[in-house]
Amino acid sequence: MGVKVKKLEKNKVSLEVEVGADEVDAALGKAYRQVVKRVTIPGFRKGHVPRKVLEMRLGKEVLYEEALEIMLPEAYDQAVDEAELEPIDQPLIEDVHIEEGSPLRFSATVEVKPEVELGQYKGLQIEREKVEVTPEDVEEYLHHLRDRNAVWQVVEEGEVSTGDLVIIDFTGYVDGEPLDGGRGENHTLRIGSGSFIPGFEEQLIGAVVDEERKIQVVFPKDYQNEDLAGAEAEFDVRLKEIKRKKLVPLDDEFAKDVSEFATLKELEADVREKLVAAAQDKAEAQFRQAVVQAVVGNAKVEVPPVMIERRAASLLNDMEDRLQQQGISLDVYLKYSEKTEKDLKDEFTEPARRDVKTDLVLEAIATNEGIEAGKEEVEEELALLAQGFAGDEGDEEEIKQQLREQGYDKYLASTIVRRKTLNFLAAENLAQLE
Amino acid sequence: MRTPWDIIRKPLLTEKAMRLMEENKYTFEVDRRANKYEIKQAVETVFKVKVKKVQTLQMPAKPKRMGRHVGQRPAWKKAIVTLKEGHTIPFFEGA
Repeated sequence: MGVKVKKLEKNKVSLEVEVGADEVDAALGKAYRQVVKRVTIPGFRKGHVPRKVLEMRLGKEVLYEEALEIMLPEAYDQAVDEAELEPIDQPLIEDVHIEEGSPLRFSATVEVKPEVELGQYKGLQIEREKVEVTPEDVEEYLHHLRDRNAVWQVVEEGEVSTGDLVIIDFTGYVDGEPLDGGRGENHTLRIGSGSFIPGFEEQLIGAVVDEERKIQVVFPKDYQNEDLAGAEAEFDVRLKEIKRKKLVPLDDEFAKDVSEFATLKELEADVREKLVAAAQDKAEAQFRQAVVQAVVGNAKVEVPPVMIERRAASLLNDMEDRLQQQGISLDVYLKYSEKTEKDLKDEFTEPARRDVKTDLVLEAIATNEGIEAGKEEVEEELALLAQGFAGDEGDEEEIKQQLREQGYDKYLASTIVRRKTLNFLAAENLAQLE
Repeated sequence: MRTPWDIIRKPLLTEKAMRLMEENKYTFEVDRRANKYEIKQAVETVFKVKVKKVQTLQMPAKPKRMGRHVGQRPAWKKAIVTLKEGHTIPFFEGA
């Protein structure tokens, strides 16, 4: 096979490919065997038409067409490999010349990955935020923990106050008539929660257990039931129980209850550690983002529209998946947000361009620095993945093989390279503190 | 006047005919009135080959229906022509 590569404008490359006559004839033979299964010619049973008769009746072109379908994709792939190109779009195939006994010739024009002009990507001295956890932060966390573990205690003597939980029976009247759905027994209500008509909860404040109160309220003007909106109503309320939140004391006992630690001191130390770790993770993530942003910003790439479009489409797809998980279809979402699919795609164009550029720049850096994924590393990840799939049944080796066939090994290799590249960039660009 | 081209109406292209070709026998549909000698002459002039032997047979007419109409496929004569050794007919042109 012969391949001639010609660079055209921008990121386009044209390939002149020639495939040997032997292969052409072999493909024609294969093509005949496929065509013969489909055609019926009088005098012959299906599949029993000799090649000569077939060519005479249907013309050689039929075989040529079929042969091209067999040969072209393979030949094109091989040519791309040989020329070491990375196409990003479907090729435009032209000037196909095929004839029995002579080589197949065609030219393919295809868009390839653009060249990246890297800027400075080392020693950018980007600062990582210093992590600080104050005793107050720890205290606040513990306070939340206390609040969450508080117990509701029945108050025998005492008055209702905001924040309490009360159990009530109530009947509502409008113009002296009992109200539909305005009755409730043993209803639990949290004072200050705002779940009842405005004014209702407030008028219960100060009541004691077993007290009966009459409460006057006015339904709000925008009440959902239009008949009642703005109506004056009276409620007979009987207070049955008051419960109040009681915070447990902050001591070793508390520590034992909420954690695996025996003393409050240990719990505090652990909380501190966790807060520090979380803050560090956050700082690291921010730092890395800043590094990537700076490095990508310094590089120059002309991102081909095809790549942007494709990435935008995949972003849109991701969003559709997310919506689907929430049980919303894209159509419904579009209706509510009053957008069209095209609007969304336009919205995704900028992020898509950024994503693609980032990918291209990181790839270029990896190549430049010779960052590669080792065979063992890929194997390791593949094994991990296979384990996950294998579950209760299935042979791990077999699954590995399947994954490989689906191209997962390449995918894993690229994620490993990307991770290594990011680590490299993080290490190279951290500001040296005096 | 019947010319050789009138006597040979068309070559027969069927699986069976193809099989016979391996034995150097070529099969034709020929004019019903033609005899073996005329057929031999005709094949020799049309294809420029030497004929060893001609076998003929009458194919009967067959009734065919088109819906409720009953019709007939015409009867015809088939000729199997054996060529002398070393002679071949390149390939049947037109079917």
